[in-house]
Amino acid sequence: MITVENVSKYFNRQTILHDVSFALNEGEILGLLGPNGAGKTTLMRIINQIISADKGHVTFDGNLIQEKHLLEIGYLPEERGLYQSMTVEKQIAYLGRLRGMSSVDVKHQLNYWLDKFDIQAWRKLRIEELSKGMAQKIQFICTVLHAPKVLILDEPFSGFDPLNIELIRQELLEFKKKGHSIIISTHNMNSVEEICDRAVLINKGQKLLEGSIQEIREQNKEGLYKISFTGNMIAFANALWAGYEIIDKEVHSDDTFTVYLKMRKGNEINDLLNAVIDQVKITGIETVLPSMEKVFVKTINAQKEISSE
Amino acid sequence: MERFGNRSFKWLMILGPLLILGLVYLFLSSTTSTKKNWKVLIMDKNEIFDGKLTASRPQNLSFDFINAFVEYDDFAKDEKYKDYDLAVQINEKIVSNKHVIISYKEYPPENIQRHLVYYVERRLEEIMVEQFTDLSVSKFRDIKQSLQFNLKDANDPRNEKSTTASWVGFGFGILIILFVFMFGMTILRSVAREKSNRIVEVLLSSVKARQLLTGKVLGIGFSALIQFTAWVVIIGFGLYVFRLTLFPDMFSAGFVADEIAKEGAQNPLSNQSPFVELIYSQIHYTNMLIFFTLFFLGGYLFYGSFFAMIGASMGSESDGQQFVIPITLLLFLAVLSGYYTVYYPGTTLSEWIGFIPFTSPMVMMVELSNGFEDGSAWKLFLSLAILFISAFFMMRIAGRIYKNGILRFNHRLKLNMLLKWTKK
Repeated sequence: MITVENVSKYFNRQTILHDVSFALNEGEILGLLGPNGAGKTTLMRIINQIISADKGHVTFDGNLIQEKHLLEIGYLPEERGLYQSMTVEKQIAYLGRLRGMSSVDVKHQLNYWLDKFDIQAWRKLRIEELSKGMAQKIQFICTVLHAPKVLILDEPFSGFDPLNIELIRQELLEFKKKGHSIIISTHNMNSVEEICDRAVLINKGQKLLEGSIQEIREQNKEGLYKISFTGNMIAFANALWAGYEIIDKEVHSDDTFTVYLKMRKGNEINDLLNAVIDQVKITGIETVLPSMEKVFVKTINAQKEISSE
Repeated sequence: MERFGNRSFKWLMILGPLLILGLVYLFLSSTTSTKKNWKVLIMDKNEIFDGKLTASRPQNLSFDFINAFVEYDDFAKDEKYKDYDLAVQINEKIVSNKHVIISYKEYPPENIQRHLVYYVERRLEEIMVEQFTDLSVSKFRDIKQSLQFNLKDANDPRNEKSTTASWVGFGFGILIILFVFMFGMTILRSVAREKSNRIVEVLLSSVKARQLLTGKVLGIGFSALIQFTAWVVIIGFGLYVFRLTLFPDMFSAGFVADEIAKEGAQNPLSNQSPFVELIYSQIHYTNMLIFFTLFFLGGYLFYGSFFAMIGASMGSESDGQQFVIPITLLLFLAVLSGYYTVYYPGTTLSEWIGFIPFTSPMVMMVELSNGFEDGSAWKLFLSLAILFISAFFMMRIAGRIYKNGILRFNHRLKLNMLLKWTKK
């Protein structure tokens, strides 16, 4: 759908983006991750043609991205902005018309979304009369009103309460189901794990990771296993002896536990099972993958260490 | 305290007064010009001055005496007098009526007038003391009546081309400046508002920066024209209603005949009510309105691009406010130029400021109301062309600054930053 190829951007002799490449496929949700100042916003502005790349290019459906493609993109910037004195209805209609919609389409879509979010009553309210969360909802409607093929959303969940976060999440999944593609930039790693198919991690303008969420977590796994059992904890620990390292444990009752451990000396799951199976009743065992948050922190710190060396 | 630390505040603290001083200097130097030698013909028919005016030779003045009275028209056009710039009439009644007429071909600057008046007064004092009193010159100076000097254009001694018409042009020019300022500020506020409430990023994801700026400037310009049209229609209708209802007598044939009979046939009606004459007869509304619209558009686009630049590039609201001041001063300079042109039409400076886009909308409206001599209407069109070309050029630069500056927030606006933005 969209490919970013070897894009670089410099401001005042500072490298903001260096040779960044990735692709957004049709019908997928891609998480664009990175700490503050990593270059995410610049990258999103380049995709939206708000600023131009100094090197590299962006394609849309295989063609170099042009002005006409912008009508097929819905962009929600991190810094939200609406005309404060305009009514909800006029605001949505204005931005819809700006994106090439006919007034009939605007009217139809406006009603659809106001009904869907159950906010018909806000129609005549001015933006300045709305709370931050309410205005965020209007901003979201403005972004998706023209049913764009691609959504580019910078922190789409910020400012929402848990109920509305869930509402927006469901809408995004709905979009994905219909074949739309979505780029989400967020610091909320739980959301990334829950709705993103793939992720790209950038820091200091460089791409550090790219892949499916599962792949990324697999690649970064630390040999950690989670084993649940019923029985005696001391007997379990003695059985492990020196071949395993217990990292953490959860006590569910007097004789029910979950233990997190790492293998040593090349041991594998079968060895672990053989070691403890006579001592306790095993109820579950699985490999523990690191959370995206852990992957994020680990990768960024690793880059810091490399650059400090 | 925060403002004191602001870089633009410091710059403006120095540049602002310097700019005002520059303006004052420009104005004063234009009125006290000493660049040429003014040749004066003293028309002393009765040889009252006895061929003498002053013992020393003044720096910028030279005098010749003639014992005849030269008609204005002859002085203005006769080959014999072509080298003279000024003529002073000393007639036999000067001793009793204390009245001196100075006729000029080019309006003399203030310092030349002062010098000339000084020499004539001093000379007359000498004569009065010599011939009529026993007093010393200084004693006489204490009790004497001052002379009255009357300046007349040798080409227009009856002052038929009065400045009244120029003031109409000045009025139209002021309207242009007023509209440019009002709607220029609207551009600035609109750009700054979209920038500060961040909606501009959403807009820029749909349209190009240059399109957005052009749309904004044209949209606001269009609204200005609508407002102006409303003004024209309302004022036009009001004047028509005045003529029909409130002051119908003033235009009836009976009233005109009565007035002529009362004052004598030599006084035309226009002398009775010059204002009415001016409003209803002298102003060539079609011409004025057409060129008003054109100069307004040119001036609006030219100045509007500056307002857009400020709006797009300002890092904070106080930054923007400070950068409005130089633009306001430029607009003030334009008003001053119009004022100058009313009083000193046809001077080299007034010719030049008619072509400079910062001042041309104002100056040309004054020139237009005075009327252009045959074959010199090209000045009007050249001035318009320069204005529109400059406006186009400035809009391009404004577009670049808008594109580069509109998504920059909370920065300190520096001149080199602006220059860099104009390049890409």
